[in-house]
Amino acid sequence: MRLILTIAWRNLWRHRGQSLVVGTILFLGAALMTLGNGVISGMDRGLHKTIVQSFTGDWVLVPDAQEDDNVFLEMMGRAIEPIQNYPDIKAFLAERPEIEKHLPMGKNLAMVFNEDGGMPTFLYVLGVDFAAYARMFPENLTLIEGHLPPPDGPALMLPTGARKEVHQQTNIWFIPEGGVLDTSHLEGEAVGRAGDLSVKDNMVLMGFNQDNTATDLRLPIDGIFRYRALNSLFGSFALVDIESYRQCLGYLRADETAIVSLSHADSALFAMEGENLDDLFADPGTAAGVEGPALGGKPSSTATLPASRQEGMHPAHRDPRGDAPTQEKGVSIESGAYNLVAVAVKPGQASDASLAVFNADLKDAGLGVRAVTWKKALGPVGSMAVLIKGALFVFVSLLFLVAILIIINTLTMAAMERTAEIGMMRAIGARKGFIGLMFLAETAMLAFTFGGLGILFGGSLIEALAALKLTSENDMLQLFYGGDTFHPLIQGGDILLAVVQLALVTVVAVIYPLILARGVTPLEAVQTE
Amino acid sequence: MNLIEIKGLTKDYPLGRTMVHALRGVDLTIAKGDLVSLMGPSGSGKTTLLNVIGCIDRATTGSVKIEGVELTEMGDRAVTDLRLHRLGFIFQTFNLIPVLTATENVEFPLLLQKELSKAEIRKRAEKWLDDVGLTEFRHHRPSELSGGQRQRVAIARALVTNPSIVLADEPTANLDSVTGASILEIMREMNTRQETTFLFSTHDRNVLQYAKTVIKLRDGRLEQE
Repeated sequence: MRLILTIAWRNLWRHRGQSLVVGTILFLGAALMTLGNGVISGMDRGLHKTIVQSFTGDWVLVPDAQEDDNVFLEMMGRAIEPIQNYPDIKAFLAERPEIEKHLPMGKNLAMVFNEDGGMPTFLYVLGVDFAAYARMFPENLTLIEGHLPPPDGPALMLPTGARKEVHQQTNIWFIPEGGVLDTSHLEGEAVGRAGDLSVKDNMVLMGFNQDNTATDLRLPIDGIFRYRALNSLFGSFALVDIESYRQCLGYLRADETAIVSLSHADSALFAMEGENLDDLFADPGTAAGVEGPALGGKPSSTATLPASRQEGMHPAHRDPRGDAPTQEKGVSIESGAYNLVAVAVKPGQASDASLAVFNADLKDAGLGVRAVTWKKALGPVGSMAVLIKGALFVFVSLLFLVAILIIINTLTMAAMERTAEIGMMRAIGARKGFIGLMFLAETAMLAFTFGGLGILFGGSLIEALAALKLTSENDMLQLFYGGDTFHPLIQGGDILLAVVQLALVTVVAVIYPLILARGVTPLEAVQTE
Repeated sequence: MNLIEIKGLTKDYPLGRTMVHALRGVDLTIAKGDLVSLMGPSGSGKTTLLNVIGCIDRATTGSVKIEGVELTEMGDRAVTDLRLHRLGFIFQTFNLIPVLTATENVEFPLLLQKELSKAEIRKRAEKWLDDVGLTEFRHHRPSELSGGQRQRVAIARALVTNPSIVLADEPTANLDSVTGASILEIMREMNTRQETTFLFSTHDRNVLQYAKTVIKLRDGRLEQE
């Protein structure tokens, strides 16, 4: 072997030109491979971190009745089926060792009422318990204007993206309640038109219910925010307190579950049906001993009917704080309806096998929900990430192919030029295997030296790119970056992958020239003379 | 004792649309320790005969035996090993491995054999270089040697494995007369001292004085002297 290495090493120096050509290709190939792997790794980690840790969790529980797994970015705005048994699901999740945390939420499309008389527009709304949201997705919101929502009561947090989109459709520029227009935050068509803007600090949302009725709801805007990452993509999702969400979309609210409790305790309420319904609208305390809500006012702590049932009244005439429901004391907010449950699993538990077991157990428990991966829950965007990775893979593969072709060509020429030398070696007793090893050793040395330098260079390039912290607000670039900031990442696995890819390229590239060299006969050496 | 026995050897090869009959039924025996000169004009079949005996080329028909071993039925690996252990080659163009020094070139077949220690291999190679008068050039690469020096390295390399026979195809063709004579002198000396059998081709009548036996080839047929 030492003889082979000696000959190989000296041959590389002897044929410096060819070595440099092949070496340069290997260097560039290895550098690009490392860079590509680093970009893909960074994107993978970025997407996982950004989407999983900020929007969806690893798995999303969706109702079995929900046909489409794509529940977040369904473009037609179809309603998501409700989950009515969250307390049971919560109990189930609490028993699962692989689950780290979870967040129930509502998700649907609501219409933004144009109080200026123009065309309305639509807005994706996520109904959440803000405290639970902060625990599930900590530090996910960057406040731009206003304040974070209060612990109880109606709240609407509007992302900058949604504000911009709504303005484009309605010419209304929303600001936080009690705030003043900050012209430095104007975006899109609003820039330079501060004087013409219709500025409002509360929004009327109209939800379309399953029974084909509509409920409008005025909500004060607590704050304008940016999502920590992928704000351009997820910036259309406004956050609404869950009870307001339920009311707007016509889902079962927690305070309505309280009605059910009270109805069991006090059958007098049902006794009123058909006889004294008008009493419901009488002064509090006058109707069969049941405290009724004052119209347009906040529901009392023992209210049996939500104060916000004000259908038919123009929303512009209502008090935004009083319009929406507040959380009933003694009633768990979790008893109402949701659409989804975002589930974060413990590190290393998000495998397909774990998901299959989890789903089987969910089915056995008869909870009426199934778990889907975050990629499926994101529909085309989840696939887009895979597509971008695929495109990068194809690009790197094409580079490999070109590199392989050039190396094959160069090594083939080298083999043909050395026919006499190889034939002479064969004539004096070198076996085909010796010739093959000699060629392999030459290529391996080039691959090791130049490829190694290429990997180091590629790794340094990744570090340099990461240090630049390139940012973009472009949706496609954000997907490519895996977030707002481009953060390519070089890991041991990427280096190993680059080494394996390099070895593969080297082996594939050397096969044909090696066969050619092994096929040289002593007779060819004599004839070459 | 006959070292080489050849019977009815023919060798045909295609050249374009025609078939060239390079050897047309050669019967030949060469004794151990002989120093044989193969004479003949260009195209007479000298090189083809040497190539077939040296297992570099295959016979079309006939039998070729070296030390009683039939060559025509051997596979590639077997003939490679035969070339390594029993045969020595000296080519017309002093074929040496360009990236190895004189010593390393001589060591090359011994390293392929893997039978001796590295120290023994080095010792034996340096001894043979000394025998051909190249001790002071042992660290030189072929490109740093003259034609005669390179051919002497080739002789040392051919002899270092103690082969049964050394085949040399016009070993002096590219050398001046003085250098060529010195090469032939070395071959004769090795033949005398080591009893190594030499078979060399030439079309130069001046080299006949070195040969014990002269075999003449014409149009692929033998004319023994």
